[in-house]
Amino acid sequence: MTIKIWKHFPREDLYECYQCARCTGSCPAMEVAPAYGPRETILKCLNLGHDKVVEDEKVWLCCTCNVCEDRCPQKIPISDLLVALRNSAARRGNIPTRLSMALELLAKTGRSMIVHQLDEMRAHHGLSPLPAAPVEELRDILKKTGRDEVIEF
Amino acid sequence: MRYALYLGCAIPIKYPGFEAATRLVCERVGIELVDLPFSCCPPPTSMKLVHYDSWLALAARNLCLAEEAGLDLLTLCSGCVNTLKEANHILKQSDSKRRKVNRILEDHKHQFNGTIKVTHILDVLYQDSVVERLLKERVRDVPLRIGCHYGCHYFRPPKIMYPQELSDAESYVPVSMDHLLSIIGVEPVEYSRKFLCCGSPLGANMDQDAGYEITRQKLGHIRDRNIQALSVVCPSCFEQFDMGQIVLGRKTKEKEKIPTFYLTQLIGLALGLSSKDVGLDVHRVKAKKLLESIEVA
Repeated sequence: MTIKIWKHFPREDLYECYQCARCTGSCPAMEVAPAYGPRETILKCLNLGHDKVVEDEKVWLCCTCNVCEDRCPQKIPISDLLVALRNSAARRGNIPTRLSMALELLAKTGRSMIVHQLDEMRAHHGLSPLPAAPVEELRDILKKTGRDEVIEF
Repeated sequence: MRYALYLGCAIPIKYPGFEAATRLVCERVGIELVDLPFSCCPPPTSMKLVHYDSWLALAARNLCLAEEAGLDLLTLCSGCVNTLKEANHILKQSDSKRRKVNRILEDHKHQFNGTIKVTHILDVLYQDSVVERLLKERVRDVPLRIGCHYGCHYFRPPKIMYPQELSDAESYVPVSMDHLLSIIGVEPVEYSRKFLCCGSPLGANMDQDAGYEITRQKLGHIRDRNIQALSVVCPSCFEQFDMGQIVLGRKTKEKEKIPTFYLTQLIGLALGLSSKDVGLDVHRVKAKKLLESIEVA
C-alpha cells in the first residue's frame, strides 16, 4: 500500500531548491549521523524519484526540529516533505522498531509512555492516580483512520 | 482564569513532579485547572511521521474535549503544544480534513468546531496579569545563571506556533522564558545553539548514541558560558539533559553535571515551595548543592 506523496507536498516546490545547503548545514542530525540531510533528500526525489528515498532507513535520521524549513531562503515546506516521505516509508514496512513499539503502546494504553508503580510514584508527589485513557474509543478511531493497515500488532 | 489542563504522557507518567509543581504554582497565581479524559496528543515525532491521518484524528479528539468544556487548552510540553496547535490550525483551515475527521469522531459524539485556543504553560505564566500576580506572591529570588532551552517544537514552525510574532524573514525565536525567569532573580544567560535540538527525537526513534552526541555538543556550549543550571518547558528535553548527562558521563567521565529544572519548579521555589514540593528529589542530576548555595531548601 502506498500513499500519493504529491498530494501532501507540492511536487513543483522541489524545483524551487537551488541546492544552497543551508538546510543541511543547520541540520543537527546531519552533524552526528551520516545521512542525506534535507538538501540531498530533495535532490534524490528529483533525480531518482521518491520511491528510492523511502526505501532507505536513513530517511528516519531526522530530529523533526524544523530548522531546515525555518532557514530555507526559498521557503520550501521541507517539513511537510519529510513527513510525507516517512508516512510513505512506513507503508512499505520501512519503520524503525523503536517507533513501531511506541505506537503499539499508544494503541494499547492510549498513552506513549509506561512505568511500573505509577500510582506510588504519583502519590510521592502528592498526586492522585492517573485515570485510564479511553482505549476502546481510541482503538476505534485508529481503525477508522486506517492505522491498522499500516502497522500490525 | 480557567483552562483545560492537558498533561500529555511523559509528565504525568515519567515526571509527575512537574505536574505537582505546575498545579501548585497555578493555584498560587489564581489559574484554575480542569482535568478532562484526554489521550496521548500524539507526538509530532512519532504518530505524525508514521500515520498522519491517525495523528490528526487523535489530536482532534483531544481538541474536541476542550471545546465541549468551553475551555482553552493548556499544555505542559513542547511536543503536545506543537501537535495540538498545528492540528487546531489545520482543522480550522481545511474543510476537507475537518469533514473527514468529523465523520470518524461523530461515532463517539465529538465534533470539531474550532472554538478554542491551544496554549502552553510558559505563555500562560508570561501574561501581564499573571506576571503581576507572580511579583506579588514571590517570597524569594533564585539568583542562578540559567540557560533556557525552549525545545524546537515549542516555537517551530513559527508560522503556525507564533504567527503574530514573525520577523521580516518570517522567522521567530522566543524570549518569554528568559524574561519570566528574570523576574524571580534568575540571570538568563545566552549560549551558542540555544535554539537547536536537544537530541531527544533522534535518540527515541533511531539512534540513541547520535541523539546523545547532539546533547553532548550542546552541553559543551552551555559549559562555555559558565551556566549553572538549565530551564526547560518539555519533558523530553528534560530527560535528554538529565538522564543524558548520566549516560554521557559513563563515556566522557565529566564529573561536573548541570542540573535541569522544569520551568514551574523554578517559579515554585520563588513562591516559597520546597524542593520536595516541586519534585526536585527525583532528578538524576541533583540540584541540592546548587540550591544550598543560594539558601533554598
